[in-house]
Formats: sequence, C-alpha cells, structure tokens
Amino acid sequence: MPGAEAEESRRVAIMSKLNETDIQGFVLRGYNLTYARYFYLHFEDAARARKLIARLLPEITTGQRWDGGKPRSTVNIAFTHRGLAAFELPIATLISFPVEFQQGMKKRAAILGDTGLNAPEHWDELWREGRVHAWLGIQGLTSSALDTASTEMLALIEETRGAVVLDSQDAASQVISGKATTKEHFGYTDGFGNPDYLGVERSTQPGQGKLMPDGSWAPLATGELLLGYADEAGELPVAPIPHILASNGTFMAYRKLHQNLASFRAYLEEHGRQYGGGKEKLAAKFIGRWRDGTPLELSPDAENQAIVQDPQRSTNFTYGADGDGTRCPVGAHIRRVHPRDTFGFNGKLIDRRRVTRRGLPYGKFADENEPVSDSDDRGIIFMALNANLSRQFEFVQQQWIEYGNDARLGNDKDMLLGNHGGHGKFVVQGDGSQTNPPYVCTALPNFVELRGGDYFFIPSITALGMLAMGLVDPR
Amino acid sequence: MPNNNGCVYGLTILSPILNDEKATPSHDLQIRNYLATLPTGETSPFAHAPGTHLCRLVVMDDVIYVGMPACEEHLKSKYLIFESNLDAAGGAGLESYLRGLAQAIPQHLDAVWSHCVGYPGAANAEAFVRYMKACQIETTFFFAAVNDKTVTETLRALQTQKAVADFIARHQGMEHAKLKAEFLEFATRLNAEPLPRPGTMGSRTGESDAWGRGRGIKTGGHNE
Amino acid sequence: MSNINGKVYAMNAVTPMKPWKTWVLRAIFFVLWNVKPLQQDLINLSFIEFARWVVIPRRRFPDLGNAQPKEELQYDYLLFFSNFNGTWNQYIDAFSAVLAKGLNLIWRWSEKFPGSVPVTIFKEYIARVQFDTDYYYTAYPHATANDLKSAHIVQASFDVLSQRAQTATPEEFAEEYLDFVLQVQCHLGETGEAPVVF
Repeated sequence: MPGAEAEESRRVAIMSKLNETDIQGFVLRGYNLTYARYFYLHFEDAARARKLIARLLPEITTGQRWDGGKPRSTVNIAFTHRGLAAFELPIATLISFPVEFQQGMKKRAAILGDTGLNAPEHWDELWREGRVHAWLGIQGLTSSALDTASTEMLALIEETRGAVVLDSQDAASQVISGKATTKEHFGYTDGFGNPDYLGVERSTQPGQGKLMPDGSWAPLATGELLLGYADEAGELPVAPIPHILASNGTFMAYRKLHQNLASFRAYLEEHGRQYGGGKEKLAAKFIGRWRDGTPLELSPDAENQAIVQDPQRSTNFTYGADGDGTRCPVGAHIRRVHPRDTFGFNGKLIDRRRVTRRGLPYGKFADENEPVSDSDDRGIIFMALNANLSRQFEFVQQQWIEYGNDARLGNDKDMLLGNHGGHGKFVVQGDGSQTNPPYVCTALPNFVELRGGDYFFIPSITALGMLAMGLVDPR
Repeated sequence: MPNNNGCVYGLTILSPILNDEKATPSHDLQIRNYLATLPTGETSPFAHAPGTHLCRLVVMDDVIYVGMPACEEHLKSKYLIFESNLDAAGGAGLESYLRGLAQAIPQHLDAVWSHCVGYPGAANAEAFVRYMKACQIETTFFFAAVNDKTVTETLRALQTQKAVADFIARHQGMEHAKLKAEFLEFATRLNAEPLPRPGTMGSRTGESDAWGRGRGIKTGGHNE
Repeated sequence: MSNINGKVYAMNAVTPMKPWKTWVLRAIFFVLWNVKPLQQDLINLSFIEFARWVVIPRRRFPDLGNAQPKEELQYDYLLFFSNFNGTWNQYIDAFSAVLAKGLNLIWRWSEKFPGSVPVTIFKEYIARVQFDTDYYYTAYPHATANDLKSAHIVQASFDVLSQRAQTATPEEFAEEYLDFVLQVQCHLGETGEAPVVF
C-alpha cells in the first residue's frame, strides 16, 4: 500500500541525534579488545559509594568514536537494582524501574526456564548469594594493558573504600597464530547479527536491522536499545523516572554459560557419523551457520569464506524460500533468535524482539584433538543489551530458545542452548538427497549450563554523575 | 450463520443470576466458589460430556465504566457467561450438545445454574435446552483457527503426531524390509490405542520440564 | 479462578458502544465474514484457537421474567472472548504491530478506545475493560493452534502411508516413507506444558 510505505520511509528518515559522549561505549559497540576482566562490586555505604563513582566517572569509556585509534583499555560500569538501592535513591525512583529488573534474574528463573541443571541452586556462589551490586567491566588490547587498567581501578576502590570486590571473572577472545578470533569453545565463529540501530552505526549491514516491505533492510529504531528514544512501537520505551536518570541508558542481561565441551564433541562425533551430510554439516545445522561463519541459507553445501568476509553478504538473507528448513533447519539457533521474514507480515513481529549481544569466551581453549572434560572451567559470558528486558531478552529466552511454538516446533528447545535434561529432540529437515537427509537428534544433553548472572542497568554518563552527586529526585 | 464456523459452533449464553439479598453468600459468589473447586483437566465435567473443544464460565459482575465523557451505568443483574466452542455439525448440532450435557453432567449443571433466574434443572432435558436457548446470544463474529475437526479427531491427531515423531527418531537408517515390517506393526498398534482422554495430553513420563504447576490462580496480565 | 489452562489464555473484554455505532460494526463484521481474504491476517497470526465478538443490544440482555428487573441501559455492549496462545503481552504486542488497522476498525466504535497504536496506552485500555475467567476448560491444554495444525497434517500423511504400506514392496515402501518424513518433518514438535506466565 503506497501510503503506508511512504509513511514508513518518512519515519525511517528522521535521524535520532545521539550524543555519543553521554552513552557508555560498551552499549554502542563491541570494542574488539581481546582481553576482559569483570569485577563484581558490593556497596556498603552510600556516601563512600558515591565518592567511588565520582572518581570512576572520568575513567568510564564513552561512545565517542575512536577515530584516532583504539585506546589500550576501556572501563564501563552497570548496576543491579540492589546496587542502585545502595545509593539511597528515592523510593519513587526505585519502584519505577521495570518489575523484572527489580526482581533480578534469579527470581525470574522459572520464567526463563532456568530450572533443573540451570537452576540457581547450581549457580556459582557469587550469583547464588545475590550480593552483586555492580559490574565493572574492563577490557584491554593486551594482557598487560588489562592488568594495568585493573590495578588502577582496584586502587580507586581501595582509596575511596567505596566498594567491596566480591569476585572477578576473566574472559578473552581465542587467539590463533597471534590474531584474535571470534571463535567460541564449540568451534563456532560468533559475532554475527547484532542489530543496527538508527543513529548508532555509521553504515548498516543488510540483514541486521529490520526488514522493509521492499525487501531491503533499515536500521531498527534507536529506542529498541536506548531509553529515551522512539522505539519500534512508535513510543518512548517504558523507563524509570526521572527521565534524566534513564535516558541514554539501557538494560543488560548477564549470564555465565558454562559449556560442556566433552559432551558436545562426543554428541557431534556420534551423530556426525550417522548423518548423511557428515559431521561439519551437522554442526552447521545446529546453529544455522557453518563453524567458519558461512550462513547455511546462502551456502547449504559448503563453507565459503568469501561470503563470511563480505559484510554485504554475511548476514544478508531471509528464509522465505526455505519454508521447509531444508537449507537452514527451522529450529536452528540463528533462525530461532532472528526469524527474519519467517512469521510473515514483513518481519514486523520480530522488530521488537532483537537484542544486542556482547560478551566473550572464558576458560582455556582446547584443540580438536586435545582431551577435554565437561568439568573444565570454560564457557561464554553472555551479555544481552536491550531497552526492555521482559519484552526482548526474556521473551526470546522463554519463547524462542526454551520453547518452539512460534517456530511451529511445539515444546522443542534450541539445540545448543536448550535446557534439555537428556530429553527433547532436534529435527534437521532434509530433502531427498543422500547428503541432506532428514535427521532427528534425540536424548539431548545440556550442552550449555547456566552458572549465574543477573540483570543490570547501564546508565548514561549524566546519570552516573547524578548518582555520584546524590542528585536523583523523582518527579 | 455467525454461530457456525465450519463444523464448530460458537455458543454464547448469558444467564441472569438470582439477586436475593437474603442469600449468604450471594448467588454469584456461590457460583464462583463452586467453579473455583471444579477441576479443569481430564476430570472436568466438560471432558466427561462430549463435544467441547474449549469453554469458559465467567461471572460478569457489571459492565465497565471507561471514564468521561462516557456515561456511567450499571447492570441490574449479574450474568453468568458460558462461552463454548463445540462440535455441532448440522442444524441439530446445538441441541444434541445441550442434551449431551444434561444427560452426562446434570449435577454440575444444577450446581452452577441453580443460582440463575428461571433455571428448570437438568433433569428435564427439553426444559434445559429451552432455557439455554432463551439465554443464548447470537455470536456476531466467530473465528476458528481449525474449523473442520472434531474433538475426537483432534485428540487422535495429537496422539498420532507424538507417536510418529518417536517412530521416526527410532527408525533412522533402517534397512527397508525391517522398516516396513516395523511400520506396519506400529500402525496397527497405534490404531488400536485408546483415544486420549480430553482435558489432558501431557506426558506422563515425568519429564524434567519443571515449568507448569498444579491448578493455581494464573492471571497473566501486564506487569510493566 | 484462572485465565489460563495449559497453553491457552481466556481473555474477556466488555466495551460500551453508542447504539447507532453498533450498526456500523455489524456491517463491518458482515463484510469481514463474507470477504474471506480479509481474515487472512488473523489466520496468519496463528496463535488464536477460537475468538468471538458478541454484540449485545441494550434491550437484549436475556430476560427470564420472574422477579428479574429489566435492564435500563444507554449503551449497547460489545463482548469479546479470545482463546489464544502465548502471554498477554505477546498477544497484544502482535496485534498492535501488524493488525492495528483491523483492531481499530472493530473497536473504534467503543467508547474511549485510544487506538491500537502506540501499544502502551492500548494495553492500559484493555487492562481496564478486561474481566477475569472463573472457569476455563480445554480438551487439549498442551497443544497450541500451531500444534493442532501440525497434528492434522501428520495424521493425514500417516493415514495415506498406512494405506500404501499394506501393498508396497520394501523398496517402494522406503520411498513412500521418505516422502512421508519429508511431508511431516516440520510438524513433529513435542506438545507439553506451557512456559511460565510473565
């Protein structure tokens, strides 16, 4: 309908003018700095905590572009609801935060499907205890840059006695032949498919934003990531009061996902032998991309680095011509979490279900031939950024990962992330050929186990300043 | 005909509830209390009587005041709403459904509707049908996702789907003659399986999906 | 009391309408019923099992005589009953996102309807005009509309294969069986409990 399309493009053309110096850099970009260390803080005294924030403020990395080259390290900070309460914010402000953020991730366990092996009773003590008030995220280009920055931050904390450091977590990209990669422990190349938002990216990549009626891709409304900007529903996202505390901020779901590498390798070996397309293809079918990153939808029979390296192609596809899942299975991970045009309606049903992923692997990387055990400490620190935890992250986790109705797969869960408990199945749809047969994987173990996490608010620089000065008034 | 959609019928009944100031608790509360303890699973009265896909009972206390400039007004009676989506092929469908209810679950019908004005009791099926029709409101627009399958066909299909998924998973890469033999045996067994009971269809094998709880108060609704 | 049974949610809503507007709404429903393609969007949303709208003119509330007082109302009332899969928020988000025009066409005749976009104010209106279910029964609580459609596809394919299996040779059967698997491979989702409401 011409009228509607014109209206649509008019809306798209209105640029949100972002003040990048007011937004924490971690929100706007993945830094691509190889090493990370996350400190988890607990505040015991509001006055001292404010002093600490005031001292940290000049160190916080903003969203300002690094046109002059990458800094050697970055620092960012985020708070749980308990953490904000520790600053003695007015009660009216504290209760204006969304319910799910107030409750915290542990209380939402049943909603998120974090039961059985993923239940809070199996989490690391740090997360079970529920005393985490803040996440201080430091990243470094080199291991020594990381150490230097960490030492500096710890010194500030010491000096102000502003917080107790409960624990820390190291994470790092896998370095192969001196180059940092985006590979995670199961061998998959990660890091595709973060959404493009209006005003955030300089250029957009086809397949990452939202699908338009003419088949092109446009950036998502800024308000899907940042509070204070119009979102895809044509309104300002629900945000805590006062506006100035919320604007330019966002929410983060932080999850420590332990990976059972031995179980994964054993499962893939066993089923790769029985599957007509072979082990690598089966691995590709689980996710929707070959382990080198080639999307199955564009290259169903072989890996193809030319596609992977070309941003105009690597995420540029839809599933309309693959309704039966013969190229990319209907339940494959990337198809579950980003259905693109699968639900019809020009993709409009998924525009408000996107999240930005940050995060890094942790633990020692192991070669294909190296013996490994499920109890080895390795996994991925998963961080999802979004304006609204319940509508975006929680929805995707509950409805698209631990459940399959929207994909028309009943109760079937995501193959790699699902909380299977030894049950469930994953169907690889096929065609009549020998190398692409239909295949059913059953008796699924938990390839990934949740070891803890929580919900955080990542405030703007202005909001941090207000926290530091104790200047937050509700309306 | 708006009440029909394919072979499904949309029945909407509004029964005025007795308004007796001397009754304690009042009649509408008595209905509510009874419904609160009535099972909704395979021991539901509607699982016992045939033909109900989905149905609900709602005590409508009053209409809702939406705010100025709309006028505030109130109903003089409360109404018991019975919304049912049922198998009713052909013109006689509704009557046979209502008679089915009266024959199979008269005690439950009486327990609920005895609190309503003019209710004759389920013992006399004719009178019961006449009463329900007097309370019937025509459905103005009726939508059904699947409108050409009965309850029985639906339960049978769900059973088949589960069994087939299991068969396919267990028979991958099997040699042809054996596959055929096992399939024939499977088909025979499946066709001989008793129909699953309506109101259930959960797995009984105690799978570790610790999501659902027993029948509790589940409102849903927004929390933002 | 419960609005939810297994995977399906029973929503009830009542809204007042000025009597002259009821006629417009009836005409709209008439067109919607008879021009089937207009229902396509509703069908494609695929999470509604059954839904109905019921117009009750102000003088047509059932009157069983006896001592029942006659209703004296200014407005006609539009009752809405839906049986849908998923959460309350998901349901309304979806309609607001893709069926806003259709929703407006039906509810703009109700007093104080704010429009179905933007969604937050729309949700407030629905929360105000929604009333709760006392008793909810479904014959298949662990199946959604999608599960039902898939089940029927599997049943139909299975029936055909069962027939053919009687007379086919093992080789012929193997081919038929492969065809069968290809037909049902997208329709084998497990049924079971619903995710926890939030």
